Amino acid sequence: MLSRVAASLYWLSRYVERSDGILRMLKINYASSQDTVQEFTWEPVIRIFAGHDEETQKLGNDSRAVMRYMVSAKNNPNSILNIITFARENARSVQEHITKDLWQCLNEYYHTVKDTRIDNALKKDDPVSVLDILIKQVMLYYGTVEITMERGEGRSYMNIGKYLERGIQSVDILDTKFGSIDGNPDLLTDTTYWKHLLLSLGGYELYLKKYREGFEAENVLEQVVLNNDFPRSVIYSVNHIQRYFDRLKNDSNIDDYRELSFFIGRLQSNIKYSSVKTIKEEGLHTFLTQIRSQLYGIGDALNNHYFANS
Amino acid sequence: MQESAYFSQYNPIKGVWDEMYGENNIRDHYSKVIDYLSRESAEDLARKEELAKRLFMSQGITFTVYSSGEGIEKIFPFDIIPRIITVDEWAFVEKGIKQRLNALNLFLKDVYNNQFIVKDGIVPIDIIYSCPHFLREMYQLEVPYDIYVHIAGIDLIRDHDGTFYVLEDNLRTPSGVSYMLENREITKRLFPDLLPQCCVRSVTEYPNILYKNLLSLSPRQISNPTIVLLSPGIYNSAYFEHTTLARLMGVELVEGRDLVVKNQKVYMKTTVGLQQVDVIYRRVDDDYLDPLVFNPSSILGVAGIMGAYRTGNVAIVNAIGNGVADDKAVYAYVPEMIKYYLNEEPILKNVPTFQLSNIDERQYVFGNINKMVVKKTNGSGGYGMLMGHASTDEEIDDYKKEILKDPRNFIAQPTISLSAAPCYMQGGLHPRRIDLRPYALCGPEGIEIVPGGLTRVALKEGSLVVNSSQGGGSKDTWVLA
Repeated sequence: MLSRVAASLYWLSRYVERSDGILRMLKINYASSQDTVQEFTWEPVIRIFAGHDEETQKLGNDSRAVMRYMVSAKNNPNSILNIITFARENARSVQEHITKDLWQCLNEYYHTVKDTRIDNALKKDDPVSVLDILIKQVMLYYGTVEITMERGEGRSYMNIGKYLERGIQSVDILDTKFGSIDGNPDLLTDTTYWKHLLLSLGGYELYLKKYREGFEAENVLEQVVLNNDFPRSVIYSVNHIQRYFDRLKNDSNIDDYRELSFFIGRLQSNIKYSSVKTIKEEGLHTFLTQIRSQLYGIGDALNNHYFANS
Repeated sequence: MQESAYFSQYNPIKGVWDEMYGENNIRDHYSKVIDYLSRESAEDLARKEELAKRLFMSQGITFTVYSSGEGIEKIFPFDIIPRIITVDEWAFVEKGIKQRLNALNLFLKDVYNNQFIVKDGIVPIDIIYSCPHFLREMYQLEVPYDIYVHIAGIDLIRDHDGTFYVLEDNLRTPSGVSYMLENREITKRLFPDLLPQCCVRSVTEYPNILYKNLLSLSPRQISNPTIVLLSPGIYNSAYFEHTTLARLMGVELVEGRDLVVKNQKVYMKTTVGLQQVDVIYRRVDDDYLDPLVFNPSSILGVAGIMGAYRTGNVAIVNAIGNGVADDKAVYAYVPEMIKYYLNEEPILKNVPTFQLSNIDERQYVFGNINKMVVKKTNGSGGYGMLMGHASTDEEIDDYKKEILKDPRNFIAQPTISLSAAPCYMQGGLHPRRIDLRPYALCGPEGIEIVPGGLTRVALKEGSLVVNSSQGGGSKDTWVLA
């Protein structure tokens, strides 16, 4: 497979996964912002997905302004509009490697988010309906990938991109949410705080089934980092990176394969042989920083060895 | 036959060949379609037009126009009423194009080797050497099977009496074939059962024939040669076409940055390292193909590719340097070429062409400019043309000054009126001017022409310019069996 094609498939998939993360995060935080007596702050969401600059400071805590900035703003490089434009540009350049169904699906996602009705609705109507329309597009995308894409090299690169992006997102969200506790220890016992964290990752129901004793920071940490059955946990993401990378073995240069395999295996062991106890001893922030840099390391190694960008 | 509402309101243009309407009646080959249409209401047709637009949009059959920093997706306008060609007309056109291509291929081989045609005084030497697309790099280079033009798009028009004329030969990287294929797919959706009822010949063989031809050109005798389609990238307006063809043939779509030349061999960069490329169907112009030989600032091409081509390690389709044969000044000599190389009378007529570098002809053209179309010899896309009958005195004077700066760059032709075909617009059928571009594929086993082509249509009332860049659209083109 052409290096450029592999890189485009990988990025296409990372962008769509990112858009999924942003949309879910927005939806839950919006709900949360309507259900609080104190002033709700959008700052952590913006920090995770858009960075911190003058532009984002101006947004303040105006929910509609934040959502328009995150969804339909042209001047935010990480808005859904821009991310999906990038995803589509990548898809366009590899059209003959994805199925026609998938191309049409992404194309429709793009036209949907580009439609001025989306921006107008965020301004005036119910924002949740808008987010639901877009989330549905992402789900269509995943369904289409699952049903139509051939089980080959291309899909492996797409899945590696997807799970890498997901892993990084979960790490970032945890780091930000737990970081906020340092400045405001009351949050540690605030059940709605943990509930919303879990909801935004789609892990609320699983949590309820597994932990009967209510919301505990440690349990949340365990679920989001170490639970093998939680599809947004860090370990789940890393296991899947490993799984799909392994399938590339026969289509790889053996030296390149070994080097990446080493990075992935090391990261996998790091998480697998951690427990809430060891993570707390090490310091959560230190632990997450290390995991994040190893995830980035995998991305860099792919760039150098597989995407011919060395 | 029962006359439908659309038809009774149809007003053919006077003095123009109408594809549907002849001598106060609908021509036979259109009758089934008109029958079918007369059963649909105006709203039905409007809905079909809407469906066509939506299909083009959702399938991404679009090109992007960049204005004020923002890309706007546009679709190439499509008219839902097919253009129909009869068995006899097609047999004539097919024969004529084959003859013409044979002669043009021989001309290219000759002009890059012994130049007999020049020595025998048929084509003047200065016409050839002054052509910017005549490339000395091609001199005495052997190309597989002596084929230079693997893919040709020959533009045909019809005068007021229905006679076919060749307006232009496109022998470099003719585009539009994906619209021939997609327009047909859209018609299948718009008019269920109509195609088989009318016995329309299929066009779907095109990619298979092209693939078979490309395969036969591989310099390496191996069972599975690597064939690629070289595209300038997603910002090219024909990108949709490149990806469609690559997908339909199952070949790799590459950009210049995916290729590298090593030891005079071309390789593509893959996830497992370099893989040798045998055949390149390129959609990049000569000028941009190799920065070491042609335009040094080009980043669309591949450094060293010309060396690999000269060594014979890679086949390039179409051959480099074909521009000398579709230059508009050389065009005037094609009938002579046919007689010279094939000893045959030309089947398809040329439009009479005046060379403006010739003083007598220039004076004649200047005196009759209202009846003339003046074109640049290496222009395309309908840019830089002067339509004498539709221009102001001022525009004509300015254009004359341009001509006098470099007369070799211009030719003039009498205005040919172009035939008209019915188009669905404003809720009814109206005649609009059309041309026809069939696509001919030339391989070791001969020339094959898929029965069909691209019919381009000038959507503006009274306009004679069909180019998409000038407000033209297209129609599905039916050849009957």
